[in-house]
Amino acid sequence: MEVLPEFKLHRPGTLAEALKIRGSLDEARYISGGTDLLANIRRGLTPTENLIELSGLSELQRFEADADGLHIGAAVTLATIGNDPAIKQDYAVLAEAANAVAGATHRAVATIGGNLCLDTRCLFYNQSQWWRDSNDGCMKYEGEICHVVPTSKRCYAAYSGDTAPALLVLNAEIEIAGPDGSRRVPLDDLFNDDGIDYLTLAPGEMVTMVHLPAASKSKTASSYTKLRIRDSIDFPLAGVAVRVTQENGKVTALDAAVTGTNSTPIRVTGCDAFVGLEFDEEQGQKFAKLVQKQTSPVQTTTTKPQYRRRAVTAMSKTLTQNLLQALSA
Amino acid sequence: MNSVLQMTVNGRPRADVVADNMLLVDYLREVCGLTGTKIGCDGGECGACTILADGGARLSCLTLAHSCAGQVIETVEGQATRGELSAVQSSFHEKLGSQCGYCTPGMIMTSESLLRTNTNPTEDEIREALGGNICRCTGYIKIIESVQAAAEIINASREAAE
Amino acid sequence: MTDELQHPRDSVTPNDPQPDPSPDPERKVRSVGERLPLIDGPDKVTGRAKYAGDLAQDALVGRILHGRYSHAEIVSIDTTEAAALPGVVCVLTGEDTTQPYGILPIAMLEYPLANGRVRYRGEPVAAVAAIDAATAAKAISLIKVEYNELPAYYTAEEARAPDAVQLHESRAGNQERDVHFELGDTEAEFANSDLVVEESYQCAEVNQVHMEPNAAVAEFDPIRQHLTIWPSTQVPFYGHLIFARCLGLEKGQVRVIKPFVGGGFGARTETLHHEVICAHLAKATGSTVRLTTSREETFITHRGRPETQVNLKMGMNKDGKLTGLASEVVQRGGGYPSYGIVTILYAGTLMYGIYDIPAVKYDGYRILTNTPPCGAFRGHGTVNVRFAIENLMDRMSEELGLDPFEVRRKNLLVTPTYTANDIMVNSYGLPECLDWVQKESNWDERIKNLAPNKGLGMACAHYVSGAAKPVHWTGEPHAVVNLKLDFDGAITALTGAADIGQGSSTMVVQCVAETLNLDASQIKLMANDSDHTPKDNGSYSSRVTYMVGNAALDAARSMRQILAEAAATLLDAKSEDIEFDGTLFRVAGSQDPGIEYMDVVVEALKDEGTITAKGTFSTPVSAQGGRKFRGSAVGPTMGFSYSAEVVEITVDPDTSQVTVDNIWIAHDLGFALNPLSCEGQIQGSAWMGMGQALSEETRYHNGLLISGNMLDYRVPTMVESPPMDIKMVESIDPNGPYGAKEAGEGSLPSFIPALANAVRMATGVRMTETPITPDRLHEARARYEREQANNVAAE
Ligand SMILES: Cc1cc2nc3c(=O)[nH]c(=O)nc-3n(C[C@H](O)[C@H](O)[C@H](O)COP(=O)(O)OP(=O)(O)OC[C@H]3O[C@@H](n4cnc5c(N)ncnc54)[C@H](O)[C@@H]3O)c2cc1C
Ligand code: SF4
Ligand code: FES
Ligand code: FES
Repeated sequence: MEVLPEFKLHRPGTLAEALKIRGSLDEARYISGGTDLLANIRRGLTPTENLIELSGLSELQRFEADADGLHIGAAVTLATIGNDPAIKQDYAVLAEAANAVAGATHRAVATIGGNLCLDTRCLFYNQSQWWRDSNDGCMKYEGEICHVVPTSKRCYAAYSGDTAPALLVLNAEIEIAGPDGSRRVPLDDLFNDDGIDYLTLAPGEMVTMVHLPAASKSKTASSYTKLRIRDSIDFPLAGVAVRVTQENGKVTALDAAVTGTNSTPIRVTGCDAFVGLEFDEEQGQKFAKLVQKQTSPVQTTTTKPQYRRRAVTAMSKTLTQNLLQALSA
Repeated sequence: MNSVLQMTVNGRPRADVVADNMLLVDYLREVCGLTGTKIGCDGGECGACTILADGGARLSCLTLAHSCAGQVIETVEGQATRGELSAVQSSFHEKLGSQCGYCTPGMIMTSESLLRTNTNPTEDEIREALGGNICRCTGYIKIIESVQAAAEIINASREAAE
Repeated sequence: MTDELQHPRDSVTPNDPQPDPSPDPERKVRSVGERLPLIDGPDKVTGRAKYAGDLAQDALVGRILHGRYSHAEIVSIDTTEAAALPGVVCVLTGEDTTQPYGILPIAMLEYPLANGRVRYRGEPVAAVAAIDAATAAKAISLIKVEYNELPAYYTAEEARAPDAVQLHESRAGNQERDVHFELGDTEAEFANSDLVVEESYQCAEVNQVHMEPNAAVAEFDPIRQHLTIWPSTQVPFYGHLIFARCLGLEKGQVRVIKPFVGGGFGARTETLHHEVICAHLAKATGSTVRLTTSREETFITHRGRPETQVNLKMGMNKDGKLTGLASEVVQRGGGYPSYGIVTILYAGTLMYGIYDIPAVKYDGYRILTNTPPCGAFRGHGTVNVRFAIENLMDRMSEELGLDPFEVRRKNLLVTPTYTANDIMVNSYGLPECLDWVQKESNWDERIKNLAPNKGLGMACAHYVSGAAKPVHWTGEPHAVVNLKLDFDGAITALTGAADIGQGSSTMVVQCVAETLNLDASQIKLMANDSDHTPKDNGSYSSRVTYMVGNAALDAARSMRQILAEAAATLLDAKSEDIEFDGTLFRVAGSQDPGIEYMDVVVEALKDEGTITAKGTFSTPVSAQGGRKFRGSAVGPTMGFSYSAEVVEITVDPDTSQVTVDNIWIAHDLGFALNPLSCEGQIQGSAWMGMGQALSEETRYHNGLLISGNMLDYRVPTMVESPPMDIKMVESIDPNGPYGAKEAGEGSLPSFIPALANAVRMATGVRMTETPITPDRLHEARARYEREQANNVAAE
């Protein structure tokens, strides 16, 4: 039997109740599907005295489309998202990314909110208490130095959620609720390039909703590919989401985002340069260069970082080419 | 923190005093004595602990017992009815979907949840649904055959009933 | 029994009749050759099957403290706080467990709890028994250990350095064993060969990852001074010896019961520290202790396949004939000997027994390092060497413009024979295996029409059906099976063979049922309770079907004779004239109405009471190998299995990821006693080979196991696991039970080189390293492309 640290589990039914409970506590963590958090708690990571369960919050279950677009509550499961016919049709990249997370049994409870907020990962961090103690911990938790980049002042643990890049290329916005009210921001603003403070959420804040703009009328194609050794369970060694629109053989919009390579998901900047151009081999190479420049994996996985970078670069180009080809067909 | 936990386990309503930090797998094994549900890893990485909660497959090692309050829980021990193996169980037995048997309860419960929503899964759908269940003995081929055989039994008995 | 065996030293052609004729197709009831589901299958699919960790949920909870250094002296251990914690029943340290143990009698250097020194990171240093898991965990955290760190060595090379600190006093140069032999003159052969190539191969360490983490329950009765233990093991008998030894008990004061075991694949062919610690805790507390371990702890206990360097030199003539083979093998063995001596010996001797090679030279080195001890892993000893040999054969075939199948055929043994190192080879289905995979994979056509990024590769392998010499030499038979027949007419087979999922219990039932002409459902089975069942050496080296199967046959024949005599009395006939058709006994050829089975049983029990029929199996001296070099007793076997595999792959051009599309395997298993479970064994072993070939490896950070979980140690999932086309080739071994040989190991080693050979075809790169992970292949391809470019530039 595994002994978890002691904590109190709170199971509110509404958002207001949850925020009220949170307000009454000095310290607490939110738990949704628990597939990331409980795995970490079991290893003595992310200790807490209070867990507030979000799966039961009715507001966070909202899942509907209107003229503004699609609204996905933070507690909607990845299985629901990945199997939804409308999402598959209009936001293919999101369905693909959701279906690429962990295994089917995880996805049945794993939520989109939890997937966006999952802890960053590193070989020296995702280990047992005994292991980390034997290695004197590390900067991210119970230690002084970084074992990956020993001279570093920061932590490079990798952001490893699959859906974030998909939502970035879809220009998602999120709603955040906390003790001081709620706000709506571009998804980009949720993340911070730091392995320890990887989210910008203030204490007590939670993601409540993901908003996607209405599906574009023009010919759009989007997709996600994931680099991993095994075709199930494995976290992304890297993952890339691309969305393109094309008219008359010319790119009219191109968005790309990458996960798994840095402490934050990366929105690839400079993609505007391809608008109005035919995405030929030369442009493909240029695009690949962009991706290469903006991603910088380090040895946070057993797989070599140089490889992860090269592979994600090549995958980005092929994925974009394939999408454009599909649009042309 | 202890409190009363009520749920239905294999058809029996239960009420037990359970700590907030108790995992469902430990509740089932140690409180209910249902050791059919196995532990194969240190959390979420093997699928051996899969059970059904309200009909859906769940990793009981990444689920708090209290999170399932009020739910209907099924384990491998609850699958045979009146001495008769379920279609999935008998297929795993007949087709050798089980060698050492350690992954088997998890495999059976995951397959059961798949077949309750999809009685004609393609091979790819089976692979995807069982992707998080690791087996070290079989190379998976006979597990897939077992699930397919179970689907056939289920479909045949449905047709017979119609 | 022995005199019935056929072996070529006595008669160079293996002559009929076999010890028992092949199953008679006319029979009413058949057991062998039938696709019989496992007799314990219903227990497994209902959750009734109890594994060690499922037992005694109310027992005390045991837990281990693992050392934090790779190599250190233990200066002091302070257990006062832990012992004072309410709910803690006992705390043990190395001072309480002073008897060393080890699977090989000549290498007992391991202590249940470290004896003053730790030699790998995670070695157990203390243990507690407490009233519950929370208390046990808390107690562990209160134990204070002071260490004095020593230099640590994580590679064989570092440990072999002249100034390296010795891990064990008795092991100079940190060498567990070196093995050297040369049979024939390799250098002379090379000098006369058309092509001689040298190459180095590097195989990463791999782990069994049996799905059940290590566990044990032990019960100690202080009044009778008696231990009962339920360990997760493949070798209950060796455990019995070790528990008695370590606890200072007589063997008769120990009872070992093997519960259901969730796999082993060799990791559990030796008694592991958690079992002995659990026994110690039970004795110290005078009660029942349950010790389950985490996946990480199970990983750290290790006993997997060592990181291995293989340096090969091989000669081949233009026609594909191998002339000579010289290999140097260095294994990073870990902190304790385990099976190391056997592994390094197997790596040499198993160069023989598959092809005819005129001269073979071997230099093997088993090195002690500050990593978890390596042990016996499915395909023990042969896998990494076979990878190297078959890989190099492929390369040399290519350089000589030869077809890889033809090259294998050119080097086939002429059987029956003895190899140069005195290993008996009887049945030899390799030619048929080659033919089948070549034809079934449509190799000749497929290879011509391969799409870009696709590759096709082939390779062969073999494995022993039981080591002809046991680990502990006592002069006893290799296997004993008892049959009990009682008033109820039920026949119970009693065996010590450890079923760990491979189906040995079912196999015993089948052999008995077939011989007695009863339905398998009429045979009951009791296995692995040392108070009741005959001793058995355990499940390793694929010995069980061959040896225990033969013992079961032997016992069933005796029982058949007893029944025939009883029937003869009733029918007033001679026992040799009695026939049993599964229901009735008759005089052969007569029109008797026949006598019911139960009536014959009643007659047989008259005056006698309960009947026990015993069967044994021993290997004849002529199968036990010669004495040409030190250690030549490791490798000899009653029969080899053979396998040939073809693997088809696709390599992703962007990511260098290898996908296995198809596998064709032919495995000569002598006779498929149970085709269903034989298929399962073959599928499982080839698939496990795929894991080692593509994704599995242990990784350490300064001796700390990074990959001690199932995300970083990548056992293939169902999604990327391929379909397989399987042929069971039945060469009918003259001495195997119904002709059966090994089925569960021989298809593992052939997969890995077949895959590497396919990678060569798909990418041009010849991988000399395993696993062929995408990052390794990517790097190798980049290197290869640079070389190609340079070559073009140079021309
Ligand atoms: C074996 C295994 C494999 C995995 N593979 C992958 C993979 O391939 N790709 C991948 O992306 N993930 C993977 N995961 C991680 C995890 O399953 C997913 O990321 C999942 O989507 C997390 O969602 P959850 O609802 O379970 O999150 P939880 O575990 O409940 O929460 C995760 C984190 O987010 C916080 N959180 C949860 N909800 C909110 C919210 N609404 N607002 C603010 N904070 C919140 C929690 O406090 C916690 O810190 C894997 C996990 C396991 C065990
Ligand atoms: S990147 Fe460095 S600081 Fe961050 S988790 Fe890894 S080792 Fe620790
Ligand atoms: S025990 Fe739950 S996934 Fe392994
Ligand atoms: S049957 Fe042994 S792990 Fe699946």
